[in-house]
Amino acid sequence: MSDDPITLEIIQNSIQATADEMFAAMRKTAMSSIIYEVLDMGTGITDARGRIASSGAGIPAFIGVLDKSVQFIIDKFDNDIKPNDVFITNDPWHGGVTHLNDLVLVMPVFVNNELIAWTANIAHNSDVGGMAPGSLSGEATEIFQEGLRLPAVKLIREGVTDQSVMDIMTCNSRMPDFLLGDVWAAIASVRIGAQRLQGLANKYSVQTFQIAMESFMDFGERSAIAALADLPKGSFELSEAQDDGRVYNVKITINNEAFIVDLTDNPDEDAGPTNTSRDGTIICAQMLFKSLVNPDTPANDGSFRPMKVLTREGSVFHAREPAAIGFYFETEVRVYDLIWRCLAPHIPNKLPAGHFSSICGTFVGGIHPDTGRQYTIIEPQIGGWGAWEGRDGNPCIFSGFHGETYNTPAEISEARNGLYVDRMELNTAPGGEGQYNGGRGLLLDYRIRTENGFLTAGYTRSKVKPWPLQGAEEGSGNFIEVTKADGTHEQYAFVSGLSLTTDDVIHVITSTGAGYGDPKKRDPEAVRLDIKNGFISAERAREVHGL
Amino acid sequence: MSESTRRVATDVGGTFTDLVAIESSPDGIKITTAKTDTTPPDFDKGVLNVLTKGGIKPADVDFMVHGTTVVINALTERKGVTVGLITTEGFRDTLEIARGNRPDFFNLHYEKPTPFVPRYLRAELPGRMTYKGEERTPLDTTALPKILDNFRQEGVQAVAISFLHSYANTAHEEALLHAVKKLWPEVSVVASHQITREWREYERSNTAVLSAYVQPVAARYLGKLNESLLSQGLVNSPYIMQSNCGVDSLAATSEVPITMVESGPASGFWGAAELGKLINEPNILALDIGGTTAKCSLIEGGEVRIMTDYWIERSRKSAGYPIMVPVVDLVEIGNGGGSIAWVDEFKKLHVGPRSAGALPGPAAYGKGGVDATTTDANLWLGRINKDYFCGGEIQADMSAAESALNIVGNKLGVSTDEAAQGIVRIANNNMVNALKLISLNRGHDTRDFTLLAFGGGGAMHAVALGQELQVRKVVVPAAASVFSAWGMMMSDLRRDYFVTHLADLEEGAGAKIEAVFAEAESKANNTFAEEGVDTSKLSFLRYGKFRYQNQEHTTEVLLEGTVNDATLSVIAEQFRAAYEREYTYRLDAPVEMVGIHLVARAEIGKLKMMPVPLGDTDASVAIKGTRNVDYALEGKHQADIYNGDELKPGMLFKGPAIIEDDGSTVVIHPGNRVSIDAYRNVHIELENQS
Repeated sequence: MSDDPITLEIIQNSIQATADEMFAAMRKTAMSSIIYEVLDMGTGITDARGRIASSGAGIPAFIGVLDKSVQFIIDKFDNDIKPNDVFITNDPWHGGVTHLNDLVLVMPVFVNNELIAWTANIAHNSDVGGMAPGSLSGEATEIFQEGLRLPAVKLIREGVTDQSVMDIMTCNSRMPDFLLGDVWAAIASVRIGAQRLQGLANKYSVQTFQIAMESFMDFGERSAIAALADLPKGSFELSEAQDDGRVYNVKITINNEAFIVDLTDNPDEDAGPTNTSRDGTIICAQMLFKSLVNPDTPANDGSFRPMKVLTREGSVFHAREPAAIGFYFETEVRVYDLIWRCLAPHIPNKLPAGHFSSICGTFVGGIHPDTGRQYTIIEPQIGGWGAWEGRDGNPCIFSGFHGETYNTPAEISEARNGLYVDRMELNTAPGGEGQYNGGRGLLLDYRIRTENGFLTAGYTRSKVKPWPLQGAEEGSGNFIEVTKADGTHEQYAFVSGLSLTTDDVIHVITSTGAGYGDPKKRDPEAVRLDIKNGFISAERAREVHGL
Repeated sequence: MSESTRRVATDVGGTFTDLVAIESSPDGIKITTAKTDTTPPDFDKGVLNVLTKGGIKPADVDFMVHGTTVVINALTERKGVTVGLITTEGFRDTLEIARGNRPDFFNLHYEKPTPFVPRYLRAELPGRMTYKGEERTPLDTTALPKILDNFRQEGVQAVAISFLHSYANTAHEEALLHAVKKLWPEVSVVASHQITREWREYERSNTAVLSAYVQPVAARYLGKLNESLLSQGLVNSPYIMQSNCGVDSLAATSEVPITMVESGPASGFWGAAELGKLINEPNILALDIGGTTAKCSLIEGGEVRIMTDYWIERSRKSAGYPIMVPVVDLVEIGNGGGSIAWVDEFKKLHVGPRSAGALPGPAAYGKGGVDATTTDANLWLGRINKDYFCGGEIQADMSAAESALNIVGNKLGVSTDEAAQGIVRIANNNMVNALKLISLNRGHDTRDFTLLAFGGGGAMHAVALGQELQVRKVVVPAAASVFSAWGMMMSDLRRDYFVTHLADLEEGAGAKIEAVFAEAESKANNTFAEEGVDTSKLSFLRYGKFRYQNQEHTTEVLLEGTVNDATLSVIAEQFRAAYEREYTYRLDAPVEMVGIHLVARAEIGKLKMMPVPLGDTDASVAIKGTRNVDYALEGKHQADIYNGDELKPGMLFKGPAIIEDDGSTVVIHPGNRVSIDAYRNVHIELENQS
């Protein structure tokens, strides 16, 4: 079999199809709703050296994660990598990248005793132990409080499951059945992928298979460099105050060969869990870079070669062991938005105004009043997106961190979690007005039906609101509020382990996206329709649109 | 004449209205086909025209089936009516919130689909059911008159009703349906439970809204068609092709027309299942290649797979809109005979999804097309006969094809031949990946399946695809280009009932599950009886939808006999086995039922096919010549060219060969062994396979 361009193309398509198939298999069999509905998971295929060749991912934030895990395992195990082994890791200082809930399963792919590739899977597991249910707590100050650390170990040795490791994992989880179901789903996923890759290499020869992977990555690099030509060249800098008063800084340099993100001038790591590993920071820069240079082509190792990220060890974006990292995602979405905001005024044709830009991670748990079983809601929220020249922002979609992610229908939530969803509607709070308006955020009310419930949540963009462009209004902000059965009412941005009882109501409130352009220039017909639709009061329309 | 039966299928497409008539008598079967222009907005005219052209008098027709794209067209062209939605308090924005997903996730300018009903026409009423179907708050219709006044003022022509948990208890929706009809008798109104009894409020609400959106349009269309045909002497109203591979009565379809949304491909896949039964091939990968797309579906044990997870306008670029109606499970890709080959800025070759359509069509049509299509590549490689292009109706413009292929070749830096081979290989690869999605990806081993290829382009690519997938064999049906119409005449009157019902498989559950099936069966019995169907001819298939506790996605299991506590453990084991086959492992977790899927069907005037005794094996009389054919991977070979019309049951021959008739071209690769069966279907055994 030859390695003509058509054959290479066919192999590349088949590798992509394999990553997608691994993703579909995991999604359909997982037990945790955060995997099958929120799709807080990703699959990937790397070459023998651990360079990412293809990803099947529901969320952009998991596209560039798995190569880092594979590379760590290659370094650690070196000569002890055997056919039908499966490795597991979750620790950011041992190839795990994100936080301890995200279990990474990795499998080497052999053909005739030659290592030709790796298949890998990452997914958020509902509970991996630690100080709080769901393993995430705003109170954590070191990683030991956030669950069981798996420092890249063999879970399956040449096809035989190491029951000791499995037992340690399930024994450390508050939800061992879910953990077991989700881990087996992940094992099935990497195994199906390995089988398909073996079939491909057998059919086209190992050599042709490897050439196809290599050329696919070179193509990724060529397309990224070609796209750099369209970006403005120079240096750009932004400092932005955060909800907690700290100031984040970014300096971005773009030239014909490289895209350099300098994050060295940033605060020291946090005493709490809102830190991220250096790898996590790199992924955020990769996500925005990909949106800028070539959103339509598949992402692989080559796509990111022109990008460089500078961080300072010991800073919030490059935390040192054993810092707590449970809420890493909120820090990641901040640095992602920071880069976006820094460049938006210079690349308006690719970057809209600011969106609600928070995971709005919401964790609710308790005992299901009808089944008596434990339930846990672990969900990111949807919110408003920013406007751009010529178009209002999107209402209620997931943040830039998530992607092909689905919210939970009220009907399913009521059955699965044993609470009531009193309402799920658009947030019409003032904000985001412009010549083009930001999209609307969400109002979601959960009414608790039993005693002994709890709420943990961490929202940013609560005080410092989504940022507008060209003279428009900022967004309305993200909040979590609780109305207790006794009528008392509290507003939060971060809350940990708040206890809840029957008829307490949680209000999830996400921000309107920021507007674009002078609100006075909005088409009067559009304003009249906004009023008719109840999106804006006549009074507020007079005030901001002058109508 | 009295012993013969005349069955007619008419199919109204965007451009053409097609007719296939089959007259069956003890002497055999006579097939007539005809084609005329579609005649919007008076579509019934086109139907009458095509009947006249085919020499069919409506009065002589015993059984008529009609397929139409009126629903999907009204949706995609946004030509429905203004709809008002009434929903549960606190949920007026369900349509606009949708599911919040961003499929095109690196594109920060992603545009979320706009709901079909604007916010000012989305009204709320108090009243709540629980997920168990218990009333939590009574329905309060005090505000209804005001809501309807507003709807009238805003020009609303159809009302959709969707309340939370109506799948579990329909009382509030029924009460409101009644109240709306009383206050506003002229308006078209539909409640979500009339279409589906499954959970997920966004999907169900959107389904009700889209049904309301097309109902007046479709009812007008069907009413006019019926009137015209009856006035011309047709005795029985035509049956209407549905997306679930069955047909339904014209009256029932007029009420809830959304069920025909994907009826186009359904008849071909039903035909594939029926043909499989006829030739003893119960496991089939069915592939339909047309001008702009290729569609495929998997048939197992003679049954098509019907699902309710159907979306329109959904792609990697858009979230689309859900329609929760029973639709045959299919994968469609933008790869057909007219798909355009193009080279991107990084010198990578792609085929489709853009198509040259009917105009200008492939470059070889000579109608000004400058882009190379799959058809041009097939012509260039000698796979399609340039002297018998489109059944001899078009003189192939080979110089136009050559220059179009040259453009592709120059961009890739390869010869014209290599460009054409590359196009065919890429197109085949796209189709192989689609076929893998419905087979390997779902745990089916393609070696257990027969590939059945139809549509204008199916037979051209089938062997190459079959070899890649290592299928048992490839079958090309007789008259492959009108196979979908044949499928229509093989359809049953069929309805699929999906009901969400949560139950742990533990003691006491058996009777409750049986009751859900029994309720659905009795509903089906009543509906069929109301339409004058002899219910003794009604048959049921009972499927249960199961999962391990705490999972979300379900696996369907066909259940035998009544359900009781004693059968629960058998059912659980059936589920575990089916699950393991699809996902490779078993869990020691409890099994949970999520709902039922009941198929109710009755045969109505179905065509009976008669085998013809096998004759002489010598096929040489059908050979009309030889030519040089480029098989891409297997190189160039001198191939015998067979006239498809001259192939008779029992004939045998070997590849390399080509079979041509006026509708299709079968490409037979070197080493393939061909036999013609008793129904004149072409069976192709692949080399090195048993």
